[in-house]
Amino acid sequence: MPELIAPIAGNVWKILVAVGDKVELDDELVILEALKMETPIYCDDAGTVTAIKVKEGDAVNEEDVLIVID
Amino acid sequence: MLDILRELIFTSGFVSLTGGNIVMWVISFVLLYLAIKKQYEPLLLLPIAFGILVVNLPLTFLMDPEHGLLWFFYHYGIELDIIPPLIFLGLGAMIDFGPLISNPKMLLLGAGAQAGLYVTFFAAVLFGFDLQEAGSIAIIGGADGPTTIYLTSKLAPHLLGATAVSAYAYMALVPIIQPPIMKLLTTDAERKIVMTKLRPVSKLQKICFPIITAMTIMLIVPPAAPLISMLMLGNLFKESGVVERLTNAASNELMNIVTIFLGLSIGATMTAATFLSPKVLFIFFLGLFAFAVSTAAGLIMAKTMNLFLKDKINPLIGAAGVSAVPMAARCVHKVGSEANRRNYLLMFAMGPNVAGVIGTVVAAAILLKNLG
Amino acid sequence: METDWSKVLEVFGSGIIGVFMVMFLLQILTQLSTRVIDFVENMGKGNAVVSAPKEAVAKEKA
Repeated sequence: MPELIAPIAGNVWKILVAVGDKVELDDELVILEALKMETPIYCDDAGTVTAIKVKEGDAVNEEDVLIVID
Repeated sequence: MLDILRELIFTSGFVSLTGGNIVMWVISFVLLYLAIKKQYEPLLLLPIAFGILVVNLPLTFLMDPEHGLLWFFYHYGIELDIIPPLIFLGLGAMIDFGPLISNPKMLLLGAGAQAGLYVTFFAAVLFGFDLQEAGSIAIIGGADGPTTIYLTSKLAPHLLGATAVSAYAYMALVPIIQPPIMKLLTTDAERKIVMTKLRPVSKLQKICFPIITAMTIMLIVPPAAPLISMLMLGNLFKESGVVERLTNAASNELMNIVTIFLGLSIGATMTAATFLSPKVLFIFFLGLFAFAVSTAAGLIMAKTMNLFLKDKINPLIGAAGVSAVPMAARCVHKVGSEANRRNYLLMFAMGPNVAGVIGTVVAAAILLKNLG
Repeated sequence: METDWSKVLEVFGSGIIGVFMVMFLLQILTQLSTRVIDFVENMGKGNAVVSAPKEAVAKEKA
């Protein structure tokens, strides 16, 4: 089951999908905020979102799982 | 009755007003606009702009030696070199040297960008500035406000307003100045390079780094001591984790307080008589030149290092060797993600970015040693 | 005013070389300290790793 991991540490600024959504390769799923800059995180696989592990405003570390995709 | 009225008019500022004063008002209004409406470095630009406005109101004597309020701020804060090191204390308490410790080669990128500064020194001498002035102008290329102010106040105090304002202005303009140079000097393939992961840094390493760095730099270039000691003390506060109150005081309250005095004092040095000279235009031009050459030097340094490295680095991060923290790192990240949207360079760029702060201080100290 | 070009060259050269030297030295020292700290920290961890299998072996024997 592919997972979307955080490539950099920061805060979760916006989550653009919900559980059950179908996503395509290169969709913007999450926007992280680090050093006052918004960084969009793109989907690496196509599939369905099965779980969202973070909420908006959470602080995440590098390598943390953000979203699980089936 | 008429006499009183006449006296009121003749002791008012209007009579002593000069054309230069009015030009300075306009400059001040422009800076106020940029600070408030465009939010370019408003924390500094706002007090600077207001400082300019009030010293150009005649007969207020705010900058009169031994009398004026702003003169005291300037004298104790800047002439006696108290404020820039205190800003560095706060900066140290905010900086995370982790990305640098994890990849110490980045220190060389921080040095590479400083080469631009010496090129500008050369150029400024060609333009007819004396050596002290040229040194103060060159340091603008380091893109570090407090260091610029520190060095200028020692070498060429009459240029303080111009060098400080251009340093802060170009820092705010990083996202406009740097990308064209970055794109010119790198190929698309180079911009797409994804860097290997940074190795984690332990707490002990983070505690040792400021101590080792402070000792090394102060032993080799003692004139760097005021700035580097405060920077590293601030960082030690943060990384030790045992004096959170001091960390917060240094990076919040103290920083905010001295920023007010710094801005006002800088603005107050910009009276019409000192600021309105053709030299100032040259300083702005040379400052921009310094900034551009430093960016280019950082990029070239990164490309040179790639010739020897097995794990290639993305040459864009060389541009972050100018010390505008974190504007330059953000800019690198942005240009990198335009080339390859899965390239997250932010943390990699923070390494050379904080190395740039150290590099600029070292460069300033060497200039001071040779020219002071 | 006469520009003292030998002084300009001196400042230029010593500046560039000086900055690189200091930063390079700093790099070496940082790498060195990282090695030392890694070694010290791994010694602590290394012992733990070595002792863990022993315990496991001891348990198996029991």
